Amino acid sequence: MKFLFYLALVLLLVPLQTTVLPHVSVWNIKPDMGLVAAVFIGLFAGEMEGLLLGLAIGWVLSLFSAGELWLSLLTYGGVGLLAGFLGRQVSQVTSISLGVGLLLVSVASGLLALANFKNIDMSQMWGGVESIVLPQACFDGAVGAGLYWLLSQRFDVTRLRTE
Amino acid sequence: MWMVNSRFSPGARRLAFACFALLVAALFLLPGQIQGLLQYLDGPVGHVVRVPLEAVASIDTGIADRWQQYLALQGVREENQQLRKDIELLRGQNNQLRESSAATERLTALLQFKEQALPAMVAAQVIGRDATNRYRAIILNKGESDGVKPDMGVITPAGVVGRVVKTTGATSVVLLVTDPNNAIAGLIQRTRDEGIVEGTQQGLAQLKYIPLLSTLRDGDRVVTSGLVGGFPRGLALGTITHIDKQEGALFQSAELMPEVDVGRVEEVLVIQASYGQSTKVMGGMDLPGKPSP
Repeated sequence: MKFLFYLALVLLLVPLQTTVLPHVSVWNIKPDMGLVAAVFIGLFAGEMEGLLLGLAIGWVLSLFSAGELWLSLLTYGGVGLLAGFLGRQVSQVTSISLGVGLLLVSVASGLLALANFKNIDMSQMWGGVESIVLPQACFDGAVGAGLYWLLSQRFDVTRLRTE
Repeated sequence: MWMVNSRFSPGARRLAFACFALLVAALFLLPGQIQGLLQYLDGPVGHVVRVPLEAVASIDTGIADRWQQYLALQGVREENQQLRKDIELLRGQNNQLRESSAATERLTALLQFKEQALPAMVAAQVIGRDATNRYRAIILNKGESDGVKPDMGVITPAGVVGRVVKTTGATSVVLLVTDPNNAIAGLIQRTRDEGIVEGTQQGLAQLKYIPLLSTLRDGDRVVTSGLVGGFPRGLALGTITHIDKQEGALFQSAELMPEVDVGRVEEVLVIQASYGQSTKVMGGMDLPGKPSP
């Protein structure tokens, strides 16, 4: 059952990310739901599942992006693993702390991707940070915090994390 | 405030970290092998993911069409669409005619002109945008099984859209001409000076490495030079809007307004014949003074 849920999640992330979310983009920036999903799985299911789901999400999303495969695998896999590790260590995860964590992770992965760009100089790189990386990180943090807040209103998230 | 989850043993945690460390090491030490391994799975996975992707894309297109029909007067909208298509077609024809005229003038003096074969093309529909915000790319509903391969050029009747960078069995990713990672060999139609067209962070394009002595000016049209990549010569890339000539620089550069509005493109043509094939006729011409094999 869990496997089917994960399979559906990975398969539905692609149309969500490539077809639906461009309609709700702000200044041409859409949230990275793959990153949010990897964090949530890591947080609720532990490091191993966070890592494996993160790798699966990274691989499938990289098939539908011009980006490098290794970068996608490292980013999503690493984020799932990190979320699993932190989720186990911290007893009280609030929507604010989750949002800030997602923001930082998104900034880190965005900077890594920009550093991997070819043909861009420092001014273009800084332009990319201002126009893509920071707005996207804010968007990712806000979406993650909002989703966590919604979940915490409906379920006992602390119990979900420890079960 | 610290807790330990009883479901996962420290062994599982160590295993997860070990797996990740192994993956990082493998990605850095054997990048080609890892990618080659995953490429075997790309085809089938592409076919599986294409089903929900096309379903959502068709629903999305349906809703967008209904919404536009609701907002606009249907007759006017259809007429407008037809006129836009006509304009695109005429722009393409106009551009080709200009290029043909310039080429004819030059070539008739040099050699006996032979008709260039049109490259084979396949029509494809845009079913999505890049999964991340970092690249300006579109996803097409045609992939390896339809004969689409990386480095093939993608156009509309108005001009160049981009270049295929990735394919699965049923889909392909096209890096747009406005992406900073893209580079296409371009030619200023009036002066015949060559350069490289790259995208900018602002979503436009720029022509770089133009010779300092070039007499280019605002409004000059830039077309593909046909020297590198999957594009034949003479496809419209854009129009020069601003020239950047710095003192002491070896080259000048120019900002371009792309010919195709890549943000709204819905159907495209993928040029399947590679450069070598498409220019076979040109390459086979008997140039004066060139010894025959």
